[in-house]
Amino acid sequence: MHSALPPRSRRGLAAVGALAAAALVLTGCQATPTPPSDTPTSGGTLTYASGDAEPTCLDPHVGGNYPQALLATQVFDSLVSRNADGEIIPWLATAWEVAEDGLSWEFTLRDDVTFTDGTPFNAEAVVVNMNHLQDPATESSTGYLALGKVSAVEAVSETVARFELTQPDSALLESLAQPWLGIESPAGIARGMEENCESPIGTGPFVIDEWVKQDHVSLVRNDDYVSPPADASHEGAAYLDGIDWRFIPDSASRYAALQSGQVDVIDNAQPDTLAAAEEAGTLTELDAPRPGASNRIELNSGKAPFDDVRVREAFVRAVDINDGIDSLFFGSATRSYSPLSSVEVAAYSDDSLFDVDLDRANELLDEAGWSERDADGYRVKDGERLTLDFPVSTNQSIPAEQSLFEQIQATAKDAGFEVSISLLDLSGWYTALGANEYDIVSAPYTKLGPDVLRILFHSSGITPAPSGYFANHAQVSIPTLDELLTRASEVTDETERDELYADAQRLILEGYYVLPLYDQQNHFLIGPAVSGTRALPTVSTPTFYDAWLTD
Amino acid sequence: MSELEVRTVTATAARRRRRIGIGELLALLFVLFLLAATLVPGLVSTADPNAIDARAAFSTPSTSHWFGTDESGRDVYSRVVAGTGTSLLIGVSATAIGLSLGLVLGVIAGFGGRVLDFTVNRVVEVLFAFPGLLLALLVIVIAGPGPVTATIAVGLSTAPGYARIIRGQLVGIRSSAWVESARVLGHSPTRILRRHILPNALAPLFVLATLGVGQAVVWAAALSYLGLGAQPPAAEWGAMLSAGRTYIGSAWWLTVFPGLMIVLTTIASTVLGRSLATRSREA
Amino acid sequence: MLWAVATLTFFAIRLIPGDPAEAVLGGPGSQASEETLEQVRRDYGLDQPLVAQYLQSLGRLATGDLGSSYALKVPVGELLAAQLGGTILLAVVALALAWLIAIGLSLWSTTGGRVAASVGQGIELTSAALPHFWLATVLIAVFSTQLGWFPPVSTGDLRGLILPVVTLALPLSGFLAQVMRGTLLDTLDSPFILSARARGEGEIGIRLRHALRHAAIPGISLSGWALGYLISGAVVVETIFARPGLGRTLLQAVTLRDVPVVTGVVIVVAVVYILMTVVTDAASRLADPRLRLEETR
Repeated sequence: MHSALPPRSRRGLAAVGALAAAALVLTGCQATPTPPSDTPTSGGTLTYASGDAEPTCLDPHVGGNYPQALLATQVFDSLVSRNADGEIIPWLATAWEVAEDGLSWEFTLRDDVTFTDGTPFNAEAVVVNMNHLQDPATESSTGYLALGKVSAVEAVSETVARFELTQPDSALLESLAQPWLGIESPAGIARGMEENCESPIGTGPFVIDEWVKQDHVSLVRNDDYVSPPADASHEGAAYLDGIDWRFIPDSASRYAALQSGQVDVIDNAQPDTLAAAEEAGTLTELDAPRPGASNRIELNSGKAPFDDVRVREAFVRAVDINDGIDSLFFGSATRSYSPLSSVEVAAYSDDSLFDVDLDRANELLDEAGWSERDADGYRVKDGERLTLDFPVSTNQSIPAEQSLFEQIQATAKDAGFEVSISLLDLSGWYTALGANEYDIVSAPYTKLGPDVLRILFHSSGITPAPSGYFANHAQVSIPTLDELLTRASEVTDETERDELYADAQRLILEGYYVLPLYDQQNHFLIGPAVSGTRALPTVSTPTFYDAWLTD
Repeated sequence: MSELEVRTVTATAARRRRRIGIGELLALLFVLFLLAATLVPGLVSTADPNAIDARAAFSTPSTSHWFGTDESGRDVYSRVVAGTGTSLLIGVSATAIGLSLGLVLGVIAGFGGRVLDFTVNRVVEVLFAFPGLLLALLVIVIAGPGPVTATIAVGLSTAPGYARIIRGQLVGIRSSAWVESARVLGHSPTRILRRHILPNALAPLFVLATLGVGQAVVWAAALSYLGLGAQPPAAEWGAMLSAGRTYIGSAWWLTVFPGLMIVLTTIASTVLGRSLATRSREA
Repeated sequence: MLWAVATLTFFAIRLIPGDPAEAVLGGPGSQASEETLEQVRRDYGLDQPLVAQYLQSLGRLATGDLGSSYALKVPVGELLAAQLGGTILLAVVALALAWLIAIGLSLWSTTGGRVAASVGQGIELTSAALPHFWLATVLIAVFSTQLGWFPPVSTGDLRGLILPVVTLALPLSGFLAQVMRGTLLDTLDSPFILSARARGEGEIGIRLRHALRHAAIPGISLSGWALGYLISGAVVVETIFARPGLGRTLLQAVTLRDVPVVTGVVIVVAVVYILMTVVTDAASRLADPRLRLEETR
């Protein structure tokens, strides 16, 4: 029924290179759905336990973080989606066409979809949604950024919506596929922020029934559901009667609740419990690394001592993390050598730049003038110790990662670096970053597609937003890199785009601005009663549309 | 006051006249070990507490690693030893802060007449109404996390409790028979305070304080659980306890040994504190 | 009293670094524009002088209005009313259980001879030294994962209440028993007990009828403190057992710098505390004739 061929589906694997192919294969097996047990049966309520912070607003247009995306995946459909091969596929839009100059996109929409409040889905609804996202009063950040180049959206007819752009945007489809740009009922939006935060209305497989703060959100099945993405395994309404969406912040309790059968699915499963679960054999793991950036350590090149590339390389050569990743993550995380997540086809990696070499590190530091050591074994220059401030957010780094940072601290000492870790809560952490009081930092960033590189490494990302937020933590400022990233975000040709991004990543890696660690870990554990769960290949949030319960 | 007591032949009296018992001896030995670990940690530890060895992570206790190794392959025994100083410092100074504040407030309330008593009581109640952890959280978000802030935070949040107990004690003793008779005998108020009231009020306080040291370490551990205690790589018992909790299913030794140290420290300090209190009362 | 609490909270929270306007916009790190921030500052009156803001919040408070949460955009009163019940239930049951254990322990350790005394003291000290987060994890590991007796996270019924209550009660009971036993021993040496013995009353009877009453006094005056202790403990316990409640709300509000909610929680706790004080004062008077005497003089 979705006969229209998406314009981006002609992706040549060979052109992307062997490495990307490897990444692709990896993605393929990591996103494997739970083994199907017989035929799906309808009925039953699934209990999901989230370890993420409870959202303060369920409307993913407002703000726009990962906990919101997890829930939004069950409630909203987006205009397009992405399949496991990285191709953009139809969802609420059946086809799309871009004008020659790349400044105008026309989306053809399904004409048989209705929001769960009875409002029909049409081009006007798309206009209302995009305007809602771009209205400052909505307080959107993720969706707002994603539509940065969109100047206007209009309804050409009942089923055709046109996006006008200020500049060509090669990332537009990827942006629209994200759950933060899910399509909401215009009537729901019109109720105002307070009510829409409490119970936003979509066209998705489940409907928000009730939100008991600090406890759970009840979702019930949308019996009239007709619009799954093109890669779903079935059509029509979901199998489950509903989902009981609970918030269990403590990882040990969450795992205990799964073991005791009190909940069916948990997210943020900790590495040691993954190992234990594998041993026990009754639980299924869903490993769905997030797209966008890899988890990496960023070296602040904006101030001494890391303004000197030799000091940056010395640090990268000095720290030994491979054994630590193996033991702390119990084999659940694979070392990365790329600024991009392995699910991104455009990811470029080069492990030769990251060989641990203490002698080389010492040489480089001597060259850079850090040739003396003090009584504690730390290097000094002009009476100043080689100290690196490392603010760590306890909300964003799991215990295993915090331990890994401690190991980095210990091995860096051999080369004479003093790494000073401070554990901070989220507000304190952002304050430290905003005040430029850091030399090393690790900040996850999830966004669909390689355009995330522009956000993280374009020099415009160094200037903080009025709120103090900025994304270029490595403070990379290279004119040629800026040019590469801007061009990549505008070209329409796939191969050319990927080549530009590869060049950009090479510049970033060779400049030793980042120390890639692993993909953004996103592990789910699924109890024995649940079948058919898969992660949407957009931002790797699990969808329970195809899931069913067996007794 | 003691004449009547001595003639009361009860187990209690016997307990009070005992010389150094086995419990006290053990407590003394343990405290000596703690002192050694604080002053000369190198002497009692077996390895560098911060030396990592990722390949030797999660080793069970053995002859080479008495208490096993942690998630980074560090020797847990040596970290427990290295953490003694920090932990005790947190415990003792937090208790000292809490107790001295509490003492000042309590004495003012207990002896300062009705107006002062009323005022101090309200102040204490206001402080009391702040849940201790909130007070601690506020101090930490204002002054930044770390052992010093944690100490001050814990000290401040325990002060109202001490103040209230002290006041209660003082009021009770003030109206007791022997103080009454001293007053009738015409003793000066300061003398009554010094000779009769304070000694009687301070003895239970001593017990409270020794308990408080362990409590303070536990509070500091709760702050570590919330990620706001001692900063890595510092080995501190509370921080070790909360870090090891993640692995409680697979590596029990990460939490049991630092936990044991907290418990033993509390017991030892209480046993010694109590026997000291008893002795001072007899003297 | 409430005024003092509100004032202290108001200014203490202003000392926290971070822009309250950002808390409104989805917390720190929000990528809000300057216009949006300005808008929010105007809407919430954050652009006015501190004194004006303070007076405003006091004025609202006087009418029972706790304001509106920055992060959740709902009235604080409504939010806390929904959370209060769970925490109060948890704290009250835990306090009762702690008292029961404390009385039992101190009676047993003062009657059972020297062995009982040492063992009792050991139990008291050990349980008083147990951190909540650790105890909770062990209880879950043993009673949920191993034995399967109790659910590891809240279910909303009584079975789900047991582990959190035990977690809160055990350390507190150790503390209460400590204080009680000291006084109990002293009381047992006092003249009126001697005369009771002389009248031929049994040891158990003496303890239950006379000594316990005296021994309970410092413990009762500790109950106000114990409530604060329990609510602090609730921050950790509610997080681990995933129970809705004030503690969890407080932790989230502090992390998000949600000033109206933090102030609201503190004020609610203060009110509960004042009620508690009235009760404990009455209880101490009942237990301690000396205090009654003092009042009448």
